Amino acid sequence: MMNNILSINKSKQGNTRKMSNKNNKIKENGYAIIIKDLVKRYDDIIAVDGLNLKIKDGELFSLLGPNGAGKTTTINILNGLVKPTEGTAIVGGYDVKKELKNVKKLIGVCPQEAAVFKYLNAEENVKLFGDLHRVNKKVIKERMNKHLETLGLTEYSKRKAKGYSGGMLRKLNIVMALINDPKIAFLDEPTVGMDPRARRATWEFIGSLKEQNKTVILTTHYIEEAEALSDRVGIIDYGKLIELGSPKELLAKYEAKNLEEVFLNITGRRILEGI
Amino acid sequence: MNFQGLFGLIKIELKKLIREPAILIMNLLFPAILTLVFGLTFGAIGGGDTGGVNTFDIMAPGLFAYACIFIIMTVAMSFADEREEGLLRRINVTPISSSEFLGSHIITNMIISIIQVVLVFLFSVLMGFRPLGGVWGVVMAFILMIILSLCSVGLGLLTASIAKSGAVAVGISMIFILPQMFFGTFLPLSPTTEIIALFLPSYYVTHSITLIFHGAEILSAEILLSLTVVSIMAGVIIFIGVLMFKKYGSEK
Repeated sequence: MMNNILSINKSKQGNTRKMSNKNNKIKENGYAIIIKDLVKRYDDIIAVDGLNLKIKDGELFSLLGPNGAGKTTTINILNGLVKPTEGTAIVGGYDVKKELKNVKKLIGVCPQEAAVFKYLNAEENVKLFGDLHRVNKKVIKERMNKHLETLGLTEYSKRKAKGYSGGMLRKLNIVMALINDPKIAFLDEPTVGMDPRARRATWEFIGSLKEQNKTVILTTHYIEEAEALSDRVGIIDYGKLIELGSPKELLAKYEAKNLEEVFLNITGRRILEGI
Repeated sequence: MNFQGLFGLIKIELKKLIREPAILIMNLLFPAILTLVFGLTFGAIGGGDTGGVNTFDIMAPGLFAYACIFIIMTVAMSFADEREEGLLRRINVTPISSSEFLGSHIITNMIISIIQVVLVFLFSVLMGFRPLGGVWGVVMAFILMIILSLCSVGLGLLTASIAKSGAVAVGISMIFILPQMFFGTFLPLSPTTEIIALFLPSYYVTHSITLIFHGAEILSAEILLSLTVVSIMAGVIIFIGVLMFKKYGSEK
C-alpha cells in the first residue's frame, strides 16, 4: 500500500514537472528574451529599426532612451500588443508572432499609464487580474496581501481606486502586473509621479524580483533608477540599440561619474550630429 | 476556456452597474422612471382610458424595448472609456482571449437586460398593465428582449469602434438609438417610417410583444417570423460589431 502511495506521488510529481516544463518554457541558451532584426514601421515612421538584443534569464535589464526612441514600441512588441513589421522576438522561449498565447502565460505587464478600474478597490482590481491569469484564488489572496503590504497599500486596499493619489495608483499598477508571479515582468516607467520615498520603496520591491530569479525589463526616464537596479542597461535611440552594458562597464567606457552623464553623452551627441 | 477570467469580468461589470451612477441611471433607473411616468400619464391609475385597453397598455411593450435599446449607449461608453483608460490594452496582455472578453460583456448585458425587463414589467403591472398570454407569453417576451439586447450589444460595439472617447460614444450611439425609439416602439408610423421600421430590430420585438400581451398565440406564424428575423439581425449585428471592434476598436 505504502509503495502504491509512493508511486502515485511520484507519478504526480512527474506530471507536475512535465507541466511546469511546458508552461515555463524559457531557456533558449539561458536567454529569456531574444530580439533579432526587429523592425516596426508606422507608414513612413520607423519606430524600431533593426533591433538586436538578448536578455538573460533572471536579469534586470533597463531600456533607456529619449522620448519617442522606441522603448515602449519594443516592449509592446514583446508583450504582443504590437505586431512587428520585420524580424523575430522570442519571449520565454516562445515566438511572439506564432505562440503569443504561451507568451501571455509567462509575462506580467505594468503599463506606462496606471490602467486600473477606478470603481473597484485595490483588492478587486488585483483579484480580477489574478482571475484573468487563472491563478488559484487562495494564492491570489496570499500574494496580493504580501505585495500590497510591501508597497504600503494594505491600509487603502478596500478604498475605491477613484480616490487614490497618483503614487498609489502606480503602486497598484505594479501589484496588478505581478499577481500571476510572472517569469518575465515588463515594467514601463513604473515609478513616474511617485514621491522620492515611494520611489525608493518601489525600487526595493523591483530589486526583490531579481532575488526571485525573475527577468525584469524596465523602461525608465529616471537614470538613477536604472543605475541602482539594473544588471545591464541598453540605450535606444531612433529605434536602434546604441549602447549596451552593465552600469559599471558604461561608466568606465565613457569615464563618467554616473549613468546620466553616459546617457547625455550618447544621446546628446547623436542629437547634435543630427543622426 | 478561461471560466475564471470570464466570471471575473462579468462580476466587475455587474459591480460597475451598481457603483457607477451614470450606468445605474441609464440602465435601471431610467427605464423604471419612464415606465412610472408613462403609466401615471396614460395608464388606468393615472386616469387614462379605463374602458378596455388604455393607451398605456398599447405603449407598455414599446417600453420594454426602450430599456434594451439604451444598452447601446452604455456598452459603447463602457468600451470607449476602458480603451481610453488603457484597460483594454492591459487585459489584452493577459491570457484571456478576445472572444472570452467580448463574451463576458455579452453575458453581462444579457443579465442587465433581464433585470431591466423585470423592472419595467413590475412597474407596468403596478401601473395597471395586465398582459394576456400567461406565463409562456411572458417567457417569450423575455426571449425577444434578450435577443434585442444582443442587437444592442452589437451596435454598442460598432459605436465603440468608431468613437474615440466615452463622450463621443454617447453622441454616436444616438444614430442607432433614436430611429429605434421613434420608428420601432409605440409611436404611430407613417407609410414611409413603416418601411424604415422594417430594418429595425426593435420594431419586430415590440410588434411581437404587443401581439403576445394582447392574447395572440405565442407560436403563431407572425411571432415566429419576427423571432427569426430579429435573431438573424442579432447574429449579423453581433458578428459585424465584434469584427469591427477587434479590428478598429481595441487599439487606442
